[in-house]
Amino acid sequence: MTADPSAPEAEKLPLAGLRIVDISNVISLPYASGLLADLGAEVIKVEGHSRVDTTRGGQISSVLCDNRVGDDPWNRVGGFNLLNRGKKSVALDLSKPTGREVLTDLIKVSDVVMENFTPRVMRSWGLDYPNAAKLRPGLIMISCSGFGHNGPYSPYPGQATTLEATHGLAHVTGYRGGDPSKAGQSFVDFLATWALVSGTMLGLRYRHRFGTGLWVDVGMYQLGTYMLSERVLDWQANGRLGERLGNRHPFLAPQGCYRCAGDDAWCTLLARDDVEWAALCRTIGKPELATDERFATNDARMANHDAIDAIISAWMQGQTKFAAMELLQAAGVPAGAVFDARDLHFNEHMKARGLLETVAYPPERQMGKRRKVIGRPWKLSKMPLVVRGPGPRLGEHNQEILGGVLGYSPARMAALETSGIIATQPTNARKPVAMSMEDRVKTGRLAAYDPDYKERLGVDD
Amino acid sequence: MLGPMAVDDVLVLDLSEGIAGPLAARLIGDFGGDVIKVEPLGGEIGRRTPPFFHDDPDPEKSLFYLMLNLNKRGITLNLDTSEGAAILRRLATEVDVIVESFPPGYLADRGLDYASLEQENPGLIMTSITPFGQTGPYNQYQSDEIIAYATSGMMAISGTVDREPLKHGGFPGQYESGMNGFLATLVALFARDMTGAGQQVDLSIQDVIASTLVINQPFYGFAGGVQGRRHPEGSNFGQVMPCKDGYFVAQPGGGVTWDGIADFFGKPEMKEHRFADVVERVRNGPELDAIVRDATKDRTMAEMFKTASEKFRMLVGIVQTPEDLANCAHLAARGYYEELDHPVIGKIKVPFRLWNMSTGNATCRRPAPLLGQHNTEIYQEMLGYDAAALEDLRARGVI
Repeated sequence: MTADPSAPEAEKLPLAGLRIVDISNVISLPYASGLLADLGAEVIKVEGHSRVDTTRGGQISSVLCDNRVGDDPWNRVGGFNLLNRGKKSVALDLSKPTGREVLTDLIKVSDVVMENFTPRVMRSWGLDYPNAAKLRPGLIMISCSGFGHNGPYSPYPGQATTLEATHGLAHVTGYRGGDPSKAGQSFVDFLATWALVSGTMLGLRYRHRFGTGLWVDVGMYQLGTYMLSERVLDWQANGRLGERLGNRHPFLAPQGCYRCAGDDAWCTLLARDDVEWAALCRTIGKPELATDERFATNDARMANHDAIDAIISAWMQGQTKFAAMELLQAAGVPAGAVFDARDLHFNEHMKARGLLETVAYPPERQMGKRRKVIGRPWKLSKMPLVVRGPGPRLGEHNQEILGGVLGYSPARMAALETSGIIATQPTNARKPVAMSMEDRVKTGRLAAYDPDYKERLGVDD
Repeated sequence: MLGPMAVDDVLVLDLSEGIAGPLAARLIGDFGGDVIKVEPLGGEIGRRTPPFFHDDPDPEKSLFYLMLNLNKRGITLNLDTSEGAAILRRLATEVDVIVESFPPGYLADRGLDYASLEQENPGLIMTSITPFGQTGPYNQYQSDEIIAYATSGMMAISGTVDREPLKHGGFPGQYESGMNGFLATLVALFARDMTGAGQQVDLSIQDVIASTLVINQPFYGFAGGVQGRRHPEGSNFGQVMPCKDGYFVAQPGGGVTWDGIADFFGKPEMKEHRFADVVERVRNGPELDAIVRDATKDRTMAEMFKTASEKFRMLVGIVQTPEDLANCAHLAARGYYEELDHPVIGKIKVPFRLWNMSTGNATCRRPAPLLGQHNTEIYQEMLGYDAAALEDLRARGVI
C-alpha cells in the first residue's frame, strides 16, 4: 500500500518533497522522525531484520494490539505504531557490506540521515558525518546518543531509564525525606525528541538559506542536565544542593496532591499568593484561615505546611477529583485532577484539544479499523497536521524504495532477497511477551483493564 | 568569529513570562535571532522567581531570569495603557515572531491578537505558549508545574501505589514546553520560507507532557490497559536502588545480554529462567530486588558506572547532584557551560548549550538584560523616538 492517506493535502505540508533515511531505534529519534513524517517528509525507516527496532516487541512495556500475539507481532505493537507513524520500512542487514552499500545508495538520494547508534558505529562503517556528507552535498545528519560524540563518557552506552539518575533529575525527584526516584517513563528520550526535531528544522533552514548541510549531535545526558539548570546555578551561587520535596513547591505553599473520593483518585493544587490562598480557604469552607496567623503569609504557610495538608485532605476526601478541580478553578485557584490513561482518552478538554488522533488501519494489519495515538502538542493555525498513517510493517517498502526510488533491477532485488540482505520477516525477533491483561493487573503491572475499551473509544464500529 | 546561523535573519518580540515562553524565545536567540524582551514596567514574573544570586531577591538577581533571557535585549512597555498597546502594534509590523504566554483573550482585548496583527504583517508568526492551549473548556484554568504534571497523565504513573502520585522535582515540564515552542516556531518559519505566510502556533503545556506518554497511551488505545504506579516491593530493578555511597539504576538493553548483567552483579543465580525470562522476572521481582541489593551494598557509584559502561557495555546510571553536574568533565568537554559576565552579578557559569552542531552552533552573545536596559536604543532604532518623546512616555507610565 503506497497511497498516502492524506494525499490531497500532502504536497502542501512544509517538508513535502524531503527524504529522510532513519536508521534509528527505540524512542527518542524514531518519535522525532515520526513527527517529521507528520510534517510531510518521506521518512524511510531502515532496520536490520536480524536486529529489529526494540519497540517491535519483547519488552513487558511493549503491548501488542489487543494483547494478541498473532502472525506478525513485530508489526502490531501499539507504541511502535505510534512512534513510527507515517514512515516507510526497508529491512536491510546492515551488518553485511552489501547491506551498507544499499544504505549508502539511500543516503545519496536523501536530504537527512538520522541515527542513534553509540558513536563508534557510524565511524566504523565510514558513514559518520564527514564521510556521509561526501556522498550527498548539503546532507544534514542528525545523531543522538547517550553522551554525545565527544568527551570522556562518549563511548558509554546510555538510555533514558539510567540517564534519569546520571543527569541529576532523580536527585530532586522522590517523596519528601525519601530515596531518589524516577518519574514517568523514559523521560529524557522526549527531551531528545524535541531537540532532534529542532535540530533538523535548524539544519533544513540553514541549508535553505546558505546551501550547505550540517551535523547535529544530541547527547541525552547533556540535554537532561538542562532540566536541573536552576539547581546547578543555586549550587554555584548559594551552595545549595537541592532536595527531594515530593510534590511540594520549592518556594510557594501550599502545594500538594491530595486523595479524593473514588478509586485511586487524586487532585493537585497550589496557592501562589495570598489572594489564591484566600480563594482556596473560601472554597473549602474555611474562609477564616485566610487571616489565621499560621497561614496568612507564604512564609507562614511554608512553615506550617503539614497543618495545611491535613485541612485540605479532609476537604478533598468528600470531593471527586474533577469536582475538586472545577470548584477550585472556578474560584481562581490552580488545581488539577490526576489524569490516568482513561482520562487522556475521555476527558472533555483533551477531546476538545484533539491531542489524540485517529489512525485508520487496513484489514491486513489485523489491528482493527482505527486506533487512537498521540499527535503533537502544538497546532499551527494555517497548516492542520495529522498523523499520516500507521507504523510500517517490517520491509513493507523494500520494493518501492529499492526497486522504485533507487531503481534496482528485478535481478538485483532477487539477489538481495536470496542472500538475506533484505527481508520482510525478522530473523531473530525477541519473543513476544505473552502475559494476559488480567495477569498484568494481578502482578501490579497495570492498575486496571477495560475489556470494552474499543466500544468506549468508538474505534471499531 | 560568528558564522552564519539558521535563524540569524529573524527578529523576535518576547512578551512571555516565567520559564517556557522565555526559553523558547531564548533558543531563537541562541541560533542567531535578534530577540527583544518586552516586559511590564515592574518586570516579568521571572525576575521575582527564586533562586536568587546570594539569596538576594533583587529583580536583577533571579538565576532563572538570568539563564532564560540570555541573548535578548530588553525594553519595558505597559500593555494596559492604550498607548502601550498602540506601540506594540507598531513594533509588531516589523518583526518576524512574537512569543507570548498571556491567558487566552488578553491580547484580543487589546486588539493585539494574531488576527489583528496579521493584517498589517501577513508574515508574522505568533507562538502562544499557555497551560491548556488557546481553545477547549480549560483554556482559562490557572496552572503551574504540578497542575500540568497532574493533568498530563504523568503523575498517575509516577511514585508508588501505596502513596500519592508523584511529580518530577523542579520544572521540567516548563523547560520541555519551551523546547517545543522553539521547535514549532522553527516549523512555522520554514513553512513561511515556502509560502510567505505566517501563522499562529498554539501550544498547550498539558499536551506537551502528555505527548511523552508513548507507552502509557497506547496501552489503553491498543489494548485497554490503564497503567498505574508501581508496587514498592518487587519492582525496583530498573528503578533507583541503593549502593554503598549513594544510589544507582540498572536496566537491560544496550550492548549486554542478561547473562552479562548477572556477571556484572556477580550473581550467577540471576541467570536462572525465573529471572532471565521477561515475564518470570516480573513474577519474581521481590527475590530479584533482594539479590541486586545484596550485590551492590559494598559497591560505589563511581565504580559501578565505570565498570558497567566500559567493561560490560551495560546500562547503569548513578544519582548525581547539582554539584556533580557543575563539576562534570564530560559536560565541560561538550562545551555545555558558558561563562558569563553579568553587570550586576558578575562572573557566573551558566548551563547553556542543549546540543551541539558542526556549523551554526548556539552562541552566547549577551547576558540577560537589566529591566528596560535597551529602551532608548530600541525605541529609537525601531520607532524613531527621540529623548524627549521617551521621557514623555516614561512620565506617563507607558515605558
